[in-house]
Amino acid sequence: MKILVCMKQVPQKDAPLKLNETGAWIREDVSYEVNEPDAYALEEALRQKEKHTGEVVVITSGPARAQQVLREALAKGADRAIHLEDNAFVGLDAFNTAKAFAAAIKDEKFDLIFTGLQSDDYGYAQTGVILAELLGWPHATIIMQIEKTDAGIRVKRELEAGFFQFVDMPLPAVLTIQSGINKLRYATLIGIKQAKNKPLRKVTLAEVQSAIGENLQKIERLYVPQKTKKTEHIEGSPFEIAKKLVDKLRNELRVL
Amino acid sequence: MLIFRKPMEGVERPQMPADVVIVGGGPAGMACALRLSQLIDQHNATYPDSRLSKENVYVLEKAREIGQHCLSGALLDPRSMRELIPGFEKEAPLDAEVTKEAVYFLTEKRKFKLPITPPPLRDHGNYVISLNRFVKWLGGKVEETGITIFTGFAGSELLFDGDRVTGVQTDDKGVDKEGHQKSNFEPGYDLNAKITILAEGPRGSLTKQLVSKFDLAKNANPQTYGIGVKELWEVPSGSVAPGEVTYTLGWPLTPKEYGGAWIYGGKDNIVSLGFVTGLDYPDPRLDPQRVLQDFKQHPMVAKLLEGGKMIRYGAKSMPYGGWWAIPPVAGNGWMILGDSAGFLNSARLKGIHLAIKSGMLAAETAFEALKKDDSSAAALGEYQKKVESSWIKDELWKVRNMHQGFEQGMYAGMFHTGLQMITGGRGLRNRYPAKAGHEHMRRLAQLPADGGNEAHLLGPAKGDGKLTFDKLTDLYHSGTKHEEDQPAHLVIYDTHVCNTRCVKEFGSPCQNFCPANVYEMVDDSTQPNGKRISLNPSNCVHCKTCDIADPYQIITWVPPEGGGGPNYDGM
Amino acid sequence: MPDTILVVAEQREGKLNRVSWETITAAQSIAAATGWTLEAAVVGAGPTAIAAEVAAKKLAKVYAVESPKLEPYTPDAFAAALKQLLATKPPKLVLMPHTYQVRDFVPKLATAMGRTVISDCIGFRHENGKLVFTRQMFQGKFAADVSFNSDAPWFATFQNGAFRGDKAEAGASAAPVETVNVDIADGVVRNQPQEVFKEAKQAVDLTQAEIIVSVGRGIKEQKNIEIAKQLADALGGDLAASRPICDSGWLPMDRQIGSSGQTVAPKLYLALGISGAIQHIVGMKGSRTIIAVNKDSEAPIFEIADYAIVGNLFDIVPPLIEEVKKAKAGS
Repeated sequence: MKILVCMKQVPQKDAPLKLNETGAWIREDVSYEVNEPDAYALEEALRQKEKHTGEVVVITSGPARAQQVLREALAKGADRAIHLEDNAFVGLDAFNTAKAFAAAIKDEKFDLIFTGLQSDDYGYAQTGVILAELLGWPHATIIMQIEKTDAGIRVKRELEAGFFQFVDMPLPAVLTIQSGINKLRYATLIGIKQAKNKPLRKVTLAEVQSAIGENLQKIERLYVPQKTKKTEHIEGSPFEIAKKLVDKLRNELRVL
Repeated sequence: MLIFRKPMEGVERPQMPADVVIVGGGPAGMACALRLSQLIDQHNATYPDSRLSKENVYVLEKAREIGQHCLSGALLDPRSMRELIPGFEKEAPLDAEVTKEAVYFLTEKRKFKLPITPPPLRDHGNYVISLNRFVKWLGGKVEETGITIFTGFAGSELLFDGDRVTGVQTDDKGVDKEGHQKSNFEPGYDLNAKITILAEGPRGSLTKQLVSKFDLAKNANPQTYGIGVKELWEVPSGSVAPGEVTYTLGWPLTPKEYGGAWIYGGKDNIVSLGFVTGLDYPDPRLDPQRVLQDFKQHPMVAKLLEGGKMIRYGAKSMPYGGWWAIPPVAGNGWMILGDSAGFLNSARLKGIHLAIKSGMLAAETAFEALKKDDSSAAALGEYQKKVESSWIKDELWKVRNMHQGFEQGMYAGMFHTGLQMITGGRGLRNRYPAKAGHEHMRRLAQLPADGGNEAHLLGPAKGDGKLTFDKLTDLYHSGTKHEEDQPAHLVIYDTHVCNTRCVKEFGSPCQNFCPANVYEMVDDSTQPNGKRISLNPSNCVHCKTCDIADPYQIITWVPPEGGGGPNYDGM
Repeated sequence: MPDTILVVAEQREGKLNRVSWETITAAQSIAAATGWTLEAAVVGAGPTAIAAEVAAKKLAKVYAVESPKLEPYTPDAFAAALKQLLATKPPKLVLMPHTYQVRDFVPKLATAMGRTVISDCIGFRHENGKLVFTRQMFQGKFAADVSFNSDAPWFATFQNGAFRGDKAEAGASAAPVETVNVDIADGVVRNQPQEVFKEAKQAVDLTQAEIIVSVGRGIKEQKNIEIAKQLADALGGDLAASRPICDSGWLPMDRQIGSSGQTVAPKLYLALGISGAIQHIVGMKGSRTIIAVNKDSEAPIFEIADYAIVGNLFDIVPPLIEEVKKAKAGS
């Protein structure tokens, strides 16, 4: 099984974020980490490789700092990495990102491509589906489980309200993976050491320039959301808070 | 039931050979790695036929990212950096050159500027830096030279063979709260190293193991410490100039406590301010985070911070003991650097430059040892000799009795310091004795119930949410995060002492001296005093104060699972 | 030809997904602002009945897009069917609810047409003739105004609860329904879906609860859930949780509130130690009154809370339980 895992580096979840001067993006002087769903996608790919042998390749696009995500993936057991390295990749929309990836892997023959179901920064949930359409492959989203079958794979799709569905699919296919479906492994010291010698191919913007075009959508501006709701703070000692709250529950909200 | 962290028994540990393992990626550890790399490169260029490898030189850093656990004011004396990287000022992230300093003595409402800045506190030629950013940069250079920095891995145990240190065992990963293996359990590695270098910062846990095992401190003064509680503030433009340095003494402390504050102007309207309290105060109810909040209410400070926003919080201990408290720093297979050894100039309140210099000297010793393949006590003892004939000794010798002079209070301290300054550090006798800080702590029975003159220092800060903050709010801004499901890394030798004796004798001071709300006494009717010790280990900011200040000395801080801890971005 | 807005309503197993009304409300607002004509489409094997339901709302026309290959749902079939519909009558704007199903096919549809989707929007603005969509980014820390930089048709999906389904205006009379038979060739559909099934034995239907006490990561340990349960019991309510709690197995999946769990709108929702990630909020923001307890004053949950308590829930909940018990005992 040759599996490609698309990974993204995003600002750390609880990092304090500030807007940059243009107001259309954030200041980049924050700590970064791997997009959480992508970490689960990688874990799933590594488990599939362990079960069925094969190769796991990881790919990301972004500035030099994004290499950290690939290094960690290699340390955990991925075999090769591809880094589309350029600051400009940060500003590409999902459509162009998918096109850049498709261009970067055009000479490869993968059986499966995984992405996390969405990113923690944009939250669009589109890149994987777009990539499938560009490659002409079948896809399925929000996947919890993957099993190999004679005809291809059987995946378990998560639906809303506690429902699930199994889907049989041929290969090759693109899957977007749900977060929290397995326990993430730790990178080991030996893994980190070995990662240094694993192939990391850098792809410049110029190499994929012909594949991408202008963004089809534009972030006009980012801003701190206006609070429409009036929130009342209840303060004091825990005992005082309890009393005030019960008073409200009883007299204002009438739930007691 | 509290289950404490300890190495998993009965597991086979992966073995990894190493030439040098440096435990700790702070300024000392990184300087050591960089210097070693320089020497190896030079050697290989000159003797291509007898090349030395950097492949097996490792730095272990428990934080997820380089520099993430580094916290200091900070002011950098560039002396050792200039030796390590001539011209470093052009590429290092320096906030500002110090432009002016002032020392104030404060009372609750007033301030008195010292007409002359005492020579040790004159900072011209020094730089205001963020240690976190500085170490990130320095670490980047170490990685560029090809030395592997393992981030997210802690040195959890030393490996011994008789009187030799044979390496370091890293932390077990994937252990649950009950001490059992989770499905993703990974045992710590045994890094079998020819040379183990401890650069863990103040009160290093492996250093403590080493000192204890070989009774290294028997001829030294007990090490004494202070806790620095820091906040980073964003202030309106013009409130403070970059490079402006202010020190204060006096309020809110009384003559019974040792300590003072710093305020440094950084760039981009960032102010670093903090309060250092000596961990030898008498009243166990004293809360160092509260002391900082009190300090901010002084009109001079409140005005400075007006219209500003607190963006980060943290705390760390620092060693004050000076020259006489430094144990032997080299032995069979081991060396100790920086704050772990106690290389801090408590008069100048600076240690980063000494940490860097100690790292360089250790690197030079390690280099010779690797060439000769001899890391015996004699070979590594060269490091001890180098330190003693370097400017580290020159600098620390002059202030060797500084902190001890304060053991009888502020006025005595000032008298002794004055005397020491005109006698090249001697004062009344060559070596002043010292008592461990926790031995100064008095029992509640001996103190006024209402706290007397110290009342304003005791107990938790309430915080107004704008200028001052309660501990929990401050703590949130430390960005501290740990894997929740793991054993408690604050190893308490006997929790009965907490529940039966300490509650009555000292009133459970852990709740006060911990700047992170790790320790809590919760109601428990089955206990003799109705209270039981409870821990929130995931709040820990790795300052080591509990290990230092606990009056019964039954707390041992060990590293939690690697990758966890505070996030000192910009600190 | 006037510009049109096309709302693609969602049907699941022969029933209209009620969130589609919210999309109609949004579409009616946009139609009013822009002057564009509003139409709708229902896609499936036998969509006529549902199309009639949709036609009761105030819009110009409803398309019943039919093909036997549209049942069961597959992204290949839905994308192919809608592509055909949109080719014949290209609208300016295509709107859908941001459901799991829509996420599964609309990026594919847009890409096949060389277009783009602005997904998970919470609102829109029409200024100086330009249409701009608002969505959340960075886990709710920032809002973003996003505009289209391409030709029509433009695609946008709306977040659950961003608009009120009950505000969808009814039409004076039923809109005409036009059946569109689409042709989906053999081999187009590659996925073979099996029966949809439920895993959790639904012990409790949280959608019927009047009072819910919900726990998030701030509860720290499984055994601490006990105090939340005590509070729920004291209030006469039900216990629920955010996703990470159920993922860890601390509470069964049927207690999960959020985009992958249940959506609730009780009289009172008490969030303990819940940060307020979007995936959770979409499941409860319709609650009448929201009380949040969290030690982080900047937690996104406080954006939607009616009452905010910044503090340690372990300090606050026990006295709260006592006071509630006292109040109920009539003291």
